[in-house]
Amino acid sequence: MIEMERISKVYRMGEVRLEALKEISLRIEAAEFISIMGPSGSGKSTLLNIIGCLDTPSGGSYFLEEKNVAGLGFDELSTVRNRKIGFVFQNFNLLPYATTYENIELPMLFNGRSGKRRRERVRELLEMVGLVEWQHHRPSELSGGQQQRVAIARALANDPSLILADEPTGNLDSKTGEEIMGLFVKLQGQGRTILMVTHDTHIASYSQRTIQLLDGRIV
Amino acid sequence: MILTFFRNLIRDLRRQPLRTSLTLSGVGWGTFAVVILLAFGSAVSRQNLKTFRGVGQGFVIAFPASTTVTYRGLPKGRLVRLTPEQVLLAGQKIPGIKRTSFEFTATRAIRYRREDVLNTVRGVTVGYGDIRNIIAGEGRYLNDADVSQKRRVCVLGDTVTENLFHEEKAVGRTVFIEGLPFTVVGVMKKKIQTSNFSGQRDEHCAFIPWTTYSALFGDKYIGSLIFQPANPADSKRTIRLMREELGKLAGFSPDDNDALFVWDWTEFEKSFSIFFLAFNVFLGVIGAFTLLVGGVGVASIMLVVVEERTKEIGIKLAVGAKRRHILWQFFTESLAIVLLGGGLGFLFAALVLKALPVEKIEEFVGIPLLNPTVGVATILILLTIGIISGLMPARRAASTNPIEALRK
Ligand SMILES: Nc1ncnc2c1ncn2[C@@H]1O[C@H](COP(=O)(O)OP(=O)(O)OP(=O)(O)O)[C@@H](O)[C@H]1O
Ligand SMILES: [Mg+2]
Repeated sequence: MIEMERISKVYRMGEVRLEALKEISLRIEAAEFISIMGPSGSGKSTLLNIIGCLDTPSGGSYFLEEKNVAGLGFDELSTVRNRKIGFVFQNFNLLPYATTYENIELPMLFNGRSGKRRRERVRELLEMVGLVEWQHHRPSELSGGQQQRVAIARALANDPSLILADEPTGNLDSKTGEEIMGLFVKLQGQGRTILMVTHDTHIASYSQRTIQLLDGRIV
Repeated sequence: MILTFFRNLIRDLRRQPLRTSLTLSGVGWGTFAVVILLAFGSAVSRQNLKTFRGVGQGFVIAFPASTTVTYRGLPKGRLVRLTPEQVLLAGQKIPGIKRTSFEFTATRAIRYRREDVLNTVRGVTVGYGDIRNIIAGEGRYLNDADVSQKRRVCVLGDTVTENLFHEEKAVGRTVFIEGLPFTVVGVMKKKIQTSNFSGQRDEHCAFIPWTTYSALFGDKYIGSLIFQPANPADSKRTIRLMREELGKLAGFSPDDNDALFVWDWTEFEKSFSIFFLAFNVFLGVIGAFTLLVGGVGVASIMLVVVEERTKEIGIKLAVGAKRRHILWQFFTESLAIVLLGGGLGFLFAALVLKALPVEKIEEFVGIPLLNPTVGVATILILLTIGIISGLMPARRAASTNPIEALRK
């Protein structure tokens, strides 16, 4: 699924040079559920963003499903994100003015799916995350757990094989966090690969493997 | 897809009612100004051209004077005298001349019952009416039979008719010119005439067949000749040929400019049209600048909107939006504001133009109308400004870095 070889990421701020990732090599098989842990500033989000094609590495090679992602341009990366990857964020990142329905539909607006197929898919996802009654509400009218379920449904809109979650339970109480983990386990059961950044060892225990980061290196 | 597009657009605009209404009114006001300026501008030009044409249309007028150079043994200082036959013959010979005419003119007594006036009487040809825009409002203009049979008929100007007949109907009655009876066959349709060349304006004149005039009053030589080049741009060449032909017939040199005193009315008309074209371009530019200010308002507000909506752009990019999706979203939004504001301004201008007291202003500025030229010009200006003011914010939006945007 994912093959990374000596991936590095360097930030330059004037004179200061900051190596956020130092020659990370990584291999992840399809349908794995992996958690990434490590202290703050160790490079977890940076790594996840590179895997998610939101960011580009400064060096090294990265193959996603046998496709070399390193040399892709802006719009090509958008296409990869659209088709293969679903993101779940700590702060949900939903469009505040759009309804549950519209938020879930959003990724499908960028690949020319017909209106009928979009409607069917949104309905499926609403049922899956249990928000059919909430489809016309805006995020501000939903609880944190409900908002995260909207975000997960949105991440699944184009049926991606890879789910990336950056502290998905960071803003939720422990009970709601467990519910979200329940959903993740179900997604893994469908054969999806899941990478999740977390600080919580209990949440991490839902995954089968943990990658520990420290100062931009895997330990 | 289209439906979603408009729903999102309207929602985006409604989310910021104050901002939307400010930008809308900016563009609306600009459009209003453009439309009103252009409508008035074109009306003023039309009105002026119309009154200018009251004297006639695309013609040249020439007055025989005296020679200033010797010609084939003839001394200088001779009076140039032209007969109707010479003029008509010259007109026929010269290619590129549409109509040739001439007139005998004098101030004469005209009487009807107890009303008595001293007005200009013109002895003219049938073609004269076409050149000078003398159109019968009642009855008819002079015809070929009137001329060939030297009939005692006349066409009266509208004002002299009023002075003589008051409320009475003039056509069919008899008036006396220098004591001789003439039947009124037509009354000239009222025309606005701001320029003239000899005698009174046409509204005060009586027009009679030149043959009648010559027979009754004994005139042999014409007062002035007028002709119409088929193509007004061709006037210079036809004037030269006319000097040559008439010079041969009446004995003066074609290079003797004073022998025939020529007014090229087509020249006046040309400079007149150019002046008013410039005038309208000037008004259009002023209007366009007003509109441009509105467009700058839209652009700067949209830049703020892009800034505020960075997070939204980041989210869309994260789920797979391409640059063009973002570009299109902000571009259409600006364009929609400009077109909507423009539409409102246009509508408002149309209402104002409709409500104008036309009778009161027509004499001075004509009737300001929303003619196609004004409409097309406004739409072109609006589109240009909409595209310019939409493109900049849209490009800014499309160059957003997704990670930076999501961090907001
Ligand atoms: N855009 C940036 N410019 C400069 N430095 C950055 C940038 N993004 C991240 N960094 C730095 O890179 C390092 C790794 O950051 P990253 O966000 O990946 O850490 P993290 O492990 O996700 O931390 P946290 O647990 O607090 O989320 C940090 O030192 C951070 O300051
Ligand atoms: Mg982080």
